[in-house]
Amino acid sequence: MEPPESITLDAAEKIILRWDSTASEETTDRMIFDGDRREVDQYLQAVDEIQRSMSAATISDGDRKGNSTIQIAMARLEDEFRSILISNTSPLETDSLIDSSFSTHSSSINVHSGEFEEYPEDERVLRQVGESPKAGESSSRASASYRSTNSIRELDLIPAEAIDNLRCIAERMISAGYHHECVQVYGSVRKSAVDSSFRRLGVENLSIGDIQRLEWDVLEVKIRRWIRAAKVCVRILFASEKKLCEQIFKGLDTATDNACFIETVKGPAIQLFKFAEAISISRRTPEKLFKMLDLHDALLDLLPDIDAVFESESSESIRIQAAEILSRLAEAARGILSEFENAVLSEPSKVPVPGGTIHPLTRYVMNYINLISDYKQTLNELIVSKPSTGSRYSGDQTMPDMDFAEFEGRTPLALHLIWIIVILQFNVEGKSKCYRDNSLAHLFIMNNLHYIVQKAKGSQELREIIGDDYLKKLTWKYQQAATSYQRTTWVRVLYCLRDEGLHVSGSFSSGVSKSALRERFKAFNAMFEEVHRTQAMWHVPDSQLREELRISITEKLLPAYRSFLGRFRSHIESGRHPENYIKYSAEDLETAVLDFFEGYPVSQHLRRRSQ
Amino acid sequence: MPATEYQGSFLGRISIRRNQIVSMDGNHEQEIEDLEIFQKHVADRFSDLLSASDATADASVDPLLSIAWLRKLLDVFLCCEAEFKALVFMGRDPSHIARPPLDRLIPELLERVVKALDVCNAVTHGVESVRHWHKLAEIAVTALEQRPIGEGQVRRAKKALSSLVASMTVEDKESSNSKATERAWSFGRRGSKDRVAGQFRSLSWTVSKSWSAAKQIQSMLGNIAAPRGAESTGLALPVFVMSIVLSFVTWTLVAAIPCQERSGLPTHFPIPRQLSWAQSIIGLQDRIGEDWKKKEKKGSAGLLEEMQKMEKLGQSLIEFADSFHFPAEPERVEEVAAQVTELAETCRKMEEGLGPLQQQIREVFHRMVRSRGEMLDILDQAGKVSSPIM
Repeated sequence: MEPPESITLDAAEKIILRWDSTASEETTDRMIFDGDRREVDQYLQAVDEIQRSMSAATISDGDRKGNSTIQIAMARLEDEFRSILISNTSPLETDSLIDSSFSTHSSSINVHSGEFEEYPEDERVLRQVGESPKAGESSSRASASYRSTNSIRELDLIPAEAIDNLRCIAERMISAGYHHECVQVYGSVRKSAVDSSFRRLGVENLSIGDIQRLEWDVLEVKIRRWIRAAKVCVRILFASEKKLCEQIFKGLDTATDNACFIETVKGPAIQLFKFAEAISISRRTPEKLFKMLDLHDALLDLLPDIDAVFESESSESIRIQAAEILSRLAEAARGILSEFENAVLSEPSKVPVPGGTIHPLTRYVMNYINLISDYKQTLNELIVSKPSTGSRYSGDQTMPDMDFAEFEGRTPLALHLIWIIVILQFNVEGKSKCYRDNSLAHLFIMNNLHYIVQKAKGSQELREIIGDDYLKKLTWKYQQAATSYQRTTWVRVLYCLRDEGLHVSGSFSSGVSKSALRERFKAFNAMFEEVHRTQAMWHVPDSQLREELRISITEKLLPAYRSFLGRFRSHIESGRHPENYIKYSAEDLETAVLDFFEGYPVSQHLRRRSQ
Repeated sequence: MPATEYQGSFLGRISIRRNQIVSMDGNHEQEIEDLEIFQKHVADRFSDLLSASDATADASVDPLLSIAWLRKLLDVFLCCEAEFKALVFMGRDPSHIARPPLDRLIPELLERVVKALDVCNAVTHGVESVRHWHKLAEIAVTALEQRPIGEGQVRRAKKALSSLVASMTVEDKESSNSKATERAWSFGRRGSKDRVAGQFRSLSWTVSKSWSAAKQIQSMLGNIAAPRGAESTGLALPVFVMSIVLSFVTWTLVAAIPCQERSGLPTHFPIPRQLSWAQSIIGLQDRIGEDWKKKEKKGSAGLLEEMQKMEKLGQSLIEFADSFHFPAEPERVEEVAAQVTELAETCRKMEEGLGPLQQQIREVFHRMVRSRGEMLDILDQAGKVSSPIM
């Protein structure tokens, strides 16, 4: 394109005056840059000429004119600038930018059931955004491509030709000392565009007060959404705006470049982080741990990109804020873990769980630390201090204790988890004392410790963290509890089947006291029925453990009974109403034991031996 | 101060528990003395603020609601807050906090803190608007500082100042009339472009549309009541003092700096006027309240002293611009020059002060967050029901 021939100052002035925005309606009907390319070049040339003459001139009357003329030109250029921006500005197609397939952790813990639930993320395809058709590198509109928002991706927001025009104008405005105006007009147009895209990403405008009042499960959904939106905001939206500023102001003036960028994105950036900040300062309760960690990890992941996009000095406050939020989230995580430990220790319920079954606390805690082990990578970074444990510090014997020497070389997180199990155990043992029946107390301990071991073994991570040694110890303990249970219940029952006291001393006949024998049978029957009725209602949830326990009972009970029957039934059967005393066969007993620990009541009638 | 060190760690809690503290009875006299000292300090600090703002010939004085004065106010707040925490929490058995009336008063205070946090955020963002106007004023200063003053500069200055003044007066309102806030087109535009222009607001709020600074303040003031009878010699008193201080500082920030929805800002504080420690606060509140009432009628963007100056000078300079013909009479030029110098000085104060002001507000924010966290921990420890895990 041939540059037009150079023009005189007079001619230049005429051109500028012709396009004076404030002068007449005619000139405002259309924009120079919408029209003929020659007119555009002519105008720009005119502006250049005026500027050139001004810088060359000495103070004179001519200068006054130039002074006025340049202002008219600048005002016009400002309007042109605005017009070009507006006609090339449209919000991003944000729907297609959101990719939801990145998240690895989408679990949360249901406080009531103690079980945790997985929420499946819906896989969505990330399509290429509607970029300018000229940008050859971003071709495929049609083909669906999977691309996550894992890194900065700058989009071309404005077509290249428009950018050229904008540069032409910016150059002149800046060199005339009108960069303030330039920043203002740029900011006002682009800011609205960014706001609009931002809103479409669904970043909510909640106050800290609002967030404190919302239920956590509602907030969890919002956090998930926020994480998705934040990635798009930082990596695509803000990054693209930055690129646009660079494209327009490159080589002209860095200060203007930065000022325009900040003007445009500062508001949305602050609003974005406000949500994360409000979450980081919310009250610390155990169920919040995992989503907070998700948020922490997402922000950590974003931090390098935040630093890159907001690298200029004027954006320092944004970088600082992001770092502050990150550190608060870390602190919150640590605090929640502490809080949790304390809560487990002091969980006060004294109502014994019916049937001696697994206490909800046990379930909750084991599921909780199971989830924690899923997050061990992050938590290993965050948890750096050992748990502060009981009696050694407090001198209080009613507190649990833990000897760290046993666990040399473990990570602080591992120590915390083990400590939690120690506390849980302690708490469980405390709760067992609420049972009036000692047998039930033992059963309760057996059930709960067994559950702990099962859960720990069930998870690879957890098992590794806790270590097989400790699990062996716990196993031994619940086996002990099982033994204690048996002793407490059955010793006295089997006592009825003992030999001593049945034989009458002295006489030469095989003296067995029939009355004593009858008493024995009656006592045994009564006791067994009692135990049967009671312990059928007790509950051992784990089927294998239940089986093993029953087998262990029958192994002791049946031989003793059979042998007793064998030795003494004849004496009873030779008397009156033997059926009142020998009520049960060994098989009857065996069947009855099957009722044990089912958690249901049984009818009083056991099958009598058929006579 | 150990109280500020608590990280909410288990160990931290143990040490609170193990601190067998002075019973109220044993050191009752010491406590009463401490309470009095606290009140005196509060009174002194605010009295300094009041006298610092007195309009005298002394140039080093900070006018009421200027940036420098606001920064002093925030410093005062931080001092009061630190002393409050030391007085009420440090070295005390947490179960004291769980007793009435503190078991009700402390959570109420914490509610107010949350509202204050939101106001801090809104005000920090409001400072951005002030920056925006500052830049417009800078344009005018640059233009009018040139000699000789030519038509071009005057037009340029007028354009910037008109935009400035216009946006200051519509600031508070939900702009359907948003064209006024947008950097003015130099000419009216017809056709479809008008609609487009209407979409653009130069200032976007970062709070939801229903959030109102005025309502937050009203709510903060809503349930403050001076302790009476037996309560007035116990810890309820410093809690009351702190609540008043917190509310006053928050209210002042809202009055000074544009933030969303200030119509209905209360101009009356529920402080019994005879309280000695509160005299200066009452005095300040009266003055600022009066100013607020005057300005509210005209639709003001805020009472920040530098902003008021900018508005006044802006309007005056616009008048000058309207009546300007080249060459200007020397007396006019001199007059204008004086005003431009004043405007430049105001701009300078903003340039220097707005950044630090924002940082300080942020500091206040952080401090309140930290204190709130500590207080929550102590409350939890004292056996208040934290969310039960079953």
